[in-house]
Amino acid sequence: MPPRNCALCHEARAILKRPKTGQQICRDCFFWVFETEVHNTITEAGLFKPGDRVAIGASGGKDSTVLAHVMKTLNDRYQYGLELFLLSIDEGITGYRDDSLETVKRNQQQYDMPLKILSYDELYGWTMDAIVSQVGKRNNCTFCGVFRRQALDRGASALHVDHIVTGHNADDIAETVLMNIMRGDIARLGRCTMICTQGEDTIKRSKPFKYAYEKEIVMYAYFKKLDYFSTECIYSPDAYRGHARAFLKDLEAARPSAIIDIIHSGEAFEVKEEIRATQKQQQTCKRCGYMSSNDLCKACTLLEGLERGIANAAITDRARKKLDAEGPAPENLRTIPFYQPSSTPNPALPVTIEGAHN
Amino acid sequence: MPSVKVEFSGGLELLFSNQRKHDISLPERVPADGHESGRPVDIAYLILWLRDNLLQERAELFVENDSVRPGILVLVNDTDWELEGEGECVLKERDEIVFISTLHGG
Amino acid sequence: MSCGNPTVETDALMPRKKKYDKTNECVRCKTSLGNIVIRHAVYCKECFFPLVTFKFRRALEPFVNAKPDGPRRTALKPKGNLLVGFSGGLGSTVLLDLVYRCYVSMDKSTMPAEGGKQHPRHERVWKKVSVCYVEVCDIFPGMKDRTPEVAQLVAQHDGLEFIPLRIQDAFDSSWWARAHSSPGRIDLGVDLTNEELFLNSVPSSTSSTPLESLRTFLASLPTATAMSSTINSLIRLLLLHTALDTGSSHLVLGSSLTSLAVSLISGVSQGRGFNVKEEMQEEWFPDRAPEPSSQREKRTGKGERSVRVIRPLRDVGRKECAAWAWWSGLRVLGRETWPWPGLKQDIGTLTKNFIFGLEKDYPSTVSTIVRTCTKVAPKGEASGICVLCARPIQAGIQEWKSRISIRSRSPGDAIDEKTPVGPSLASHLCYACHTTLTSTSSRPAPPFDATVTKSSLVALPVWVPPQFSEKEELFRTQKMGQEKMRNVVQDFLLDE
Repeated sequence: MPPRNCALCHEARAILKRPKTGQQICRDCFFWVFETEVHNTITEAGLFKPGDRVAIGASGGKDSTVLAHVMKTLNDRYQYGLELFLLSIDEGITGYRDDSLETVKRNQQQYDMPLKILSYDELYGWTMDAIVSQVGKRNNCTFCGVFRRQALDRGASALHVDHIVTGHNADDIAETVLMNIMRGDIARLGRCTMICTQGEDTIKRSKPFKYAYEKEIVMYAYFKKLDYFSTECIYSPDAYRGHARAFLKDLEAARPSAIIDIIHSGEAFEVKEEIRATQKQQQTCKRCGYMSSNDLCKACTLLEGLERGIANAAITDRARKKLDAEGPAPENLRTIPFYQPSSTPNPALPVTIEGAHN
Repeated sequence: MPSVKVEFSGGLELLFSNQRKHDISLPERVPADGHESGRPVDIAYLILWLRDNLLQERAELFVENDSVRPGILVLVNDTDWELEGEGECVLKERDEIVFISTLHGG
Repeated sequence: MSCGNPTVETDALMPRKKKYDKTNECVRCKTSLGNIVIRHAVYCKECFFPLVTFKFRRALEPFVNAKPDGPRRTALKPKGNLLVGFSGGLGSTVLLDLVYRCYVSMDKSTMPAEGGKQHPRHERVWKKVSVCYVEVCDIFPGMKDRTPEVAQLVAQHDGLEFIPLRIQDAFDSSWWARAHSSPGRIDLGVDLTNEELFLNSVPSSTSSTPLESLRTFLASLPTATAMSSTINSLIRLLLLHTALDTGSSHLVLGSSLTSLAVSLISGVSQGRGFNVKEEMQEEWFPDRAPEPSSQREKRTGKGERSVRVIRPLRDVGRKECAAWAWWSGLRVLGRETWPWPGLKQDIGTLTKNFIFGLEKDYPSTVSTIVRTCTKVAPKGEASGICVLCARPIQAGIQEWKSRISIRSRSPGDAIDEKTPVGPSLASHLCYACHTTLTSTSSRPAPPFDATVTKSSLVALPVWVPPQFSEKEELFRTQKMGQEKMRNVVQDFLLDE
């Protein structure tokens, strides 16, 4: 079979087939098309303006490593004028985070970006290891998810950034669309295909890889020889999400465009007017100031449960009522430091950043 | 030795020599052989017995993970087996068990 | 997969609960012992039948009258007749039985209880009830023709008209002529090798039979999913046109709660998010132009025809259908599985297996899916009606598609001498239909018949040509031709 020419430049030999479109292209054209699509995603959505301080949620995994690389590349190539930071969260899972944190530290050297590491331990007083030993392996994902969300916001706030970008890729979003339909999470369904989300007291959060296939991210890392740490969280149980992910992979094998098609479906509908009106209003947590739909935010509720030894308290509304019935929280209960989102850099406030160049 | 009537519907009969009704004689207890406890025969046992003795072809269309495939409705004496403890429902003389496949589409 | 997702939700686990709540007693009459568990609720046999009948009526009757009921319930007076789409499957069989008992044989056991707000509906709601069955066996060699069996089953119900169709009627100009008393055209073809889907005339000299046209069309589709989806779409359109032909204002289909959940997820997976509402229930206005302005018109004009497509079993699960059929002694013919290995790669089949598997351990998933979909509405404007599937087209989809996936190095590239110019089908298709015709897979679909060869130019179904106003679309090609010719001969023209 004679070597084919790249479908894009028609000159070089094609060495790979794009998972997203099936086009057979050469290496350089692949880099170009991958980076340009992300650039188009960013500009079409008007995500940034010159001078913005942007934190890249860095886990050391492939999505965030490639994201850091691409953000730096695009920032230079198209002069976005952004100040880029790496922000990493240490959940305190022995063995899991150690290696990926090393990767993030390497990224910081490679891309010459300031790095901030924030740990669950310093923020909440509990590592995931400690949480699991108390609640077991079934509901720990709940804690991790809630805690990480706040941690990212707090870390970004400490860095005084305007914007957080995360490495969520097209596969993640497609999976989330399906999950939210299957679980009836109408609130999330209305938001999950938005490229940029912002709550009243939270920092803007965007997903530049929204239309990038996971396989292509891996391919990009492979050909660019970017190193990352690919690990499975040792605590992941048999979650519903696993079923949805397996189904999504089958769909992709049947027809690769399925991932984009699902995202398109998710963007093509919105929550009906009359349903939106009945959804809970956002307020701020009375204890730590973070955004919440109740008096106490989810993280504070979970933490109270942990501290008082009734760990499953916040998992359901029913359990929450039981916790309240036990009496008010003791005076000296450990709480999360008060959250004051601020995007204006305050030179007076000391911010510990590793290897910072500011 | 319980004798039970088993009936297949919804296309399942095709797997059992195209015969809808079967009269089955089962042992009093599940044969004890190290794994099995010698417990009284129940529907769980019947399902495996049918697979091993009467099923002509395509076992995967009837059985999955040692129970019936999802989409097969099981009635014991005209009652949903979910009300009778599913596989743990103990079988008695003259019980009538119906297996209905709902996998026609439509 | 690293758990790097900050938005992991609280109930990541779906706990496996006990199969039913509390006791064995029927929750409805509270006296008898239960015979069946339906999504955690227990019902006895005597209460089961009125329950299902009630759900059937509740899903259908509010949509019978042209205008929805005001504060007072009015009698049921539909604009036209009733057409039942019958597939032979479980849902269809139960649907046919319910329609017959409630509206034809007037079985007393199905009438709502007397007294109070419930009026016994003793008048015949529908002047005529027809049953339409579309046979697909001619596509696949060796597949059994079930039309005689279906005819026999329908004949057991006195007073129903049986209309057997064959799927190749979609490419049959004489079928169209009979159904619509106007000539049909099968000479409009589409080039499937280019994403623009350029239109061209199919030379009528090659006179293919409808079956040949159909099989060539199917064989030329890029994926197994495309073929499966297309067959379903063709069936639905044939039913819609048959509804017109029989003067039916309502078309009822036998989708159960379970199969509806499957088609919703399968639809979302194929990009059909804009038409989630239509997937559950829709109204088709065949006389309106495809333009957005006429489609937005909510009220039906005088004498304007419409067909309402309703799925009365949408709240009834597969298990309930099976129990109904068994306890009523109904014979279920079943739907023949297509004898084609391509089904393993079809999104519809993958979805069905996935949902059926979930239903066993998490029985509320199916109802949650449907309920969630009823809470969403299409976002943005529709820019017309899809000429293939008759559903609204979302504005700006072609532009979106080209933005999301870059397929050429520079925009100028796309148009070179070799690229044909002319009217294209792409802008007249919804996202899902365009994807069906253009989206490829690395594994080509296995052939359903070795003797059929694919073609780059295939004829379109017979309902497509009338939707293109000839003057506008096809004349453009001619117009270009003149200009092009003039450019060539320009230098040789003597000044007038």
